[in-house]
Amino acid sequence: MDIILGYVTTILVFFFTYNIFTLGLNIQFGYTGILNFTVITFMAIGGYVAAVLAMPKAPAGSGIYYILGLNLPWPIAALGGVLAAGLLGYLIGQIALKRLRSDYLAIVTLATGTLLYGLIGNGTSIFDGWQGLFNVPQPFAGFRTWTPLGYSIFFTIVTAVIFVFLWLFANRIYKSPLGRVMRAVRDDQDVVEAFGKNTFKIRMTAMVLGSMYVGVGGVLTIAYITALSPAGWTTGETFVVWAALLVGGRGNNFGAIVGSFLVAVVFNEATRYLPQIPAHPNLIPDIRYVLIGLAVILSVYFRPQGVFPEKKNTFFEVPLGDNSKTIEEHLAGGLSKVGEQ
Amino acid sequence: MATISNDPSTQVNVALEVESLKKSFGGVAAVDGVSFSVEKGTITGLIGPNGAGKSTMVNLISGALKPDSGHIRLDGHEIGGLEPHQIGARGLIRTFQISREYPDMTVMENLIVSAANQGERLINVCFRPSVGKKRDRELVERALHTLVTFGLYPLRNEYARNLSGGQKRLLELSRAVMADPKVLLLDEPMAGVNPALIEKLGEHIVGLNKELGTTFVLVEHNLEIVEKICSKVIVVALGATLAVGTMAELRKNQAVVEAYLGGDVRERVGS
Ligand SMILES: Nc1ncnc2c1ncn2[C@@H]1O[C@H](COP(=O)(O)OP(=O)(O)OP(=O)(O)O)[C@@H](O)[C@H]1O
Ligand SMILES: [Mg+2]
Repeated sequence: MDIILGYVTTILVFFFTYNIFTLGLNIQFGYTGILNFTVITFMAIGGYVAAVLAMPKAPAGSGIYYILGLNLPWPIAALGGVLAAGLLGYLIGQIALKRLRSDYLAIVTLATGTLLYGLIGNGTSIFDGWQGLFNVPQPFAGFRTWTPLGYSIFFTIVTAVIFVFLWLFANRIYKSPLGRVMRAVRDDQDVVEAFGKNTFKIRMTAMVLGSMYVGVGGVLTIAYITALSPAGWTTGETFVVWAALLVGGRGNNFGAIVGSFLVAVVFNEATRYLPQIPAHPNLIPDIRYVLIGLAVILSVYFRPQGVFPEKKNTFFEVPLGDNSKTIEEHLAGGLSKVGEQ
Repeated sequence: MATISNDPSTQVNVALEVESLKKSFGGVAAVDGVSFSVEKGTITGLIGPNGAGKSTMVNLISGALKPDSGHIRLDGHEIGGLEPHQIGARGLIRTFQISREYPDMTVMENLIVSAANQGERLINVCFRPSVGKKRDRELVERALHTLVTFGLYPLRNEYARNLSGGQKRLLELSRAVMADPKVLLLDEPMAGVNPALIEKLGEHIVGLNKELGTTFVLVEHNLEIVEKICSKVIVVALGATLAVGTMAELRKNQAVVEAYLGGDVRERVGS
């Protein structure tokens, strides 16, 4: 029983973190049209930086090397990780958002991601290279004496709460004037610019916010697994997040949840239980990617807007049930009260 | 035409002034030293044969392109070389030769999002959501008025991508109105529009000019409507000013007839 529960909690943590990644990408792409092709890099930076802030100095002579090792309390370390992801988003934005159109931006993000991947893998003294970080301290370990299952359940609840908060905030952005301007930028950046709005700033806001979202997911990932190495954030992972967003429905945060569930949980997890064929150890992971790719193709073909397309936004209506007057008469009478209903 | 008076007393009424403006693309001098001025509260036409450089001028004035040299002044202040959003925020709004609506937003949203100062700051989202809500109510009311005026009210909740070509033209103009511009620079707003709607668009422009005092610069190939609504017409050819006057005067101008009207006829015959 404990094993099953432990497994369920792990899947749930996985589901919520993927959801957070997808929400971050939705703010960037679904709201604002920014093609970020290196989503997973922000997860890695968020996770790594939080970890090296929380971990003590690497023991001398252990053969393990990483920067910082400040032994800070987790809340500060987590904040540091999220800010680092946001900073990376800001830096890439400075290069890519100033002059480049979306397709070039996609190439720049992909290139930056690949560059950082090589740098972190080969630069053994940053985050311990290809070995990666392990023995990352558990955030809530000192609260009380946990059973392993109790700890997992507690962690799942924390993750769920963070997810719900981020979900509500993402919806709030969407419905706000800022979200509306973001969607206008997505639809036609030049026109928004011509109407006197600084589209660089708007896109940068989306870029940094989305990066921070993904960073939160990264912090949660490394805190839960207590380890992260480059093998855990290959380029392919970025496209799992993309698949989740496209299948679920870009621009719709509920779609992002459904997409994360379908892609990250059903396809990614379920395929782990296919029988292994010893002669072909890569077969199952490859089948996983084939299935995810297939899901994207099918959804783009049959439901290009995703399973849950973006919803139409409406505003208050006049005559509000009073059909005795025409719209012109209503307008002439003034509408100051109408919006207050 | 090359000399423009610098006497401040005559400058007061100038909304937009372009002086010796130049822009080349590689070897092509698309705009080659054009100068003109537009008086406040007028509807001024900007005409010229295909390839005369009109759209390039619009792009230079609105900041979408950076001039190689020359001056652009809005209300006496140099705006040449500023970013498009800075120019837009100063009250010069332009439209595009090809309709460019926000396709995945509704007609209503297209209008509301075009207003200045919607409270679209992140800080409001985080801590002061009421700022946006309050402003939204004002904007919805204004948008409703505008939609009724332009006959788009029944389409308010339709996605802009589903509008017909003519409806998109109306949407572009009504969207520009929401931005409360001082100067409205329209690049061929009547292109591809049926005669009845051309009349209607013309009436809207005149109406806005009368009621709100908006200054219009109208780039247009339809000379009939230009004659009808423009008090002054600037003719450009080969990237420079050829003549200025009323349409009636220009019809008698030999150079204009040669370069523009004649060219147009020859083109039509040739095709
Ligand atoms: N981005 C560009 N690169 C190179 N040449 C350009 C560019 N934009 C415009 N041109 C050239 O500059 C000249 C002026 O073009 P422009 O579009 O300004 O003319 P126009 O007066 O608006 O014509 P139309 O009436 O057909 O719209 C043309 O010869 C055109 O080919
Ligand atoms: Mg043109």
